[in-house]
Amino acid sequence: MSFKCQKIQRLLSDYIDATLSERQMKAIVEHLDTCRSCKREAIDLKKTCHLLENFYVEPEASDAYYAQFTKTLQHRIEQSAPTALPQRVYEASTRLTWQLTARVRRYIDRCLPTGHISVRQKMLPYYTLVAAMMVLLVAPFALKLVPSANNDEHPLQRLYAVAKAQLFSTATPVSRQPIATLAIQEDAAAAQPAEIRRNVNRNRTTETPVLDSNSDVWQFTDDSTVEGYILTTLRKNSKRALPSVALDIDSELLTYAELPRQAAAREYPTAREVLTDGRYALLLLQGIRSGQQALQQYQRKWSQTEGFSRKLLDVPLEILSITEVYDSIEL
Amino acid sequence: MERTEALLIADLCEGDETALAPLIEKYKRMVYRLTMQITKNHADAEDVMQETFLKVYRSIRTFRKDAAFETWVYRIAVNEALNFVKRRDRRQERSIETTAASEFSEALRYHASHANDPHIHAEKTELRRYVTEAVNSLSLKHRTVVILHEFEGLTHAEIASILNCSEGTVRSRLHYARKKLRTLLKPYVDAGAI
Repeated sequence: MSFKCQKIQRLLSDYIDATLSERQMKAIVEHLDTCRSCKREAIDLKKTCHLLENFYVEPEASDAYYAQFTKTLQHRIEQSAPTALPQRVYEASTRLTWQLTARVRRYIDRCLPTGHISVRQKMLPYYTLVAAMMVLLVAPFALKLVPSANNDEHPLQRLYAVAKAQLFSTATPVSRQPIATLAIQEDAAAAQPAEIRRNVNRNRTTETPVLDSNSDVWQFTDDSTVEGYILTTLRKNSKRALPSVALDIDSELLTYAELPRQAAAREYPTAREVLTDGRYALLLLQGIRSGQQALQQYQRKWSQTEGFSRKLLDVPLEILSITEVYDSIEL
Repeated sequence: MERTEALLIADLCEGDETALAPLIEKYKRMVYRLTMQITKNHADAEDVMQETFLKVYRSIRTFRKDAAFETWVYRIAVNEALNFVKRRDRRQERSIETTAASEFSEALRYHASHANDPHIHAEKTELRRYVTEAVNSLSLKHRTVVILHEFEGLTHAEIASILNCSEGTVRSRLHYARKKLRTLLKPYVDAGAI
């Protein structure tokens, strides 16, 4: 086969799809008129495409299957909804607010001439205001309804205390307070402080779910008592290098932290995740003890640097949504 | 009044869960077809489908409105399916591709040797089965490109965007996949069973 034939045959697939330039198409047609083997090749490829088009059987499922699937999916979405009471209250109030405002919005949409999509944007502050009012109205009742043996330690009380401190305190924002020190170590075990070695066990076989190969689970233990878990998923690429939205979703950072219900006089173990192979970072929260003081210091922090991301957090009994971007220089 | 897709997406972004059902309704067949063709297993396809729609639901706020929603769903479904198959194949001692390819080649050799038999040759049902098996026997990369281009009708640029590779890579994979298919289906191509 001549060099020209090889070159032409590499383009035959594009020739069949007609995605070549006019000049290239013309050159191929001229070549096919004179070369029998290339013409044979082109015909065979066309026939193959024709076979695929006419005889390939695409998989299809029955309507009953799809109906069942939709039901299962809806159920799974409901199950994956937040389970903590404050979150459920928030979700319910948001849904109620949505339903009310959706009616108003559709009424306005109907009344206005077509093309006035901006009504939604104009209404957004009102939606937010209504949602906030609903939450404020419902939250005190929800707090009263929940039985609590120890008022100081109940999760709702603790969350309420944090919210109150955040909303009404005039002091320096907690996220700006120098409560953390960051140590990045090249050598994992050698430089680890003794008390952290005692308190922190990296354990991949814990019952806490592992998301995928990029996930990591840190289990905090004190002797045999499990104090809590932190589950993280590392983002391997920088944001700019993320190839697709789907990968972005894959690499979403998830963290779950659970604190003991009973107040303990000892310090909470607080350490963070692996950053890259052979390197790790520890965030040591200083002198955190149980109770309100500790909760005021438990903040969510997140930072991202080139090549990897890390997330630092501690919020009791809550699946996090990342809202704060924390300046890594401050750490 | 039926809501448009753009309105459904906007509503879902704002937290209206009722907007999800019509979107699932619209894309479920496409996602099933795609995941089934990539995973080649009904139960696996169902798992991937669920993950796909869960991601659509959870990540709808990250969807850029200037892009086509359908392409976005394609991207999620394809990536979910490819990741699933890679994980699954890592777990298995023997690659499904190798198994399928060898089994198919064996079956095809038998049929090629009986190509003159009018009964076998004439049966379009058999032909359908072999064409389908030929596609299934392709490597994961080649199969994905063939499915997206030949059966889903996506352009090279759209496929490149979904698979996060260059258009040249898509063209090249498509070319080699077609050549491989031509070899696999040679008895039928030569016999003009079209």
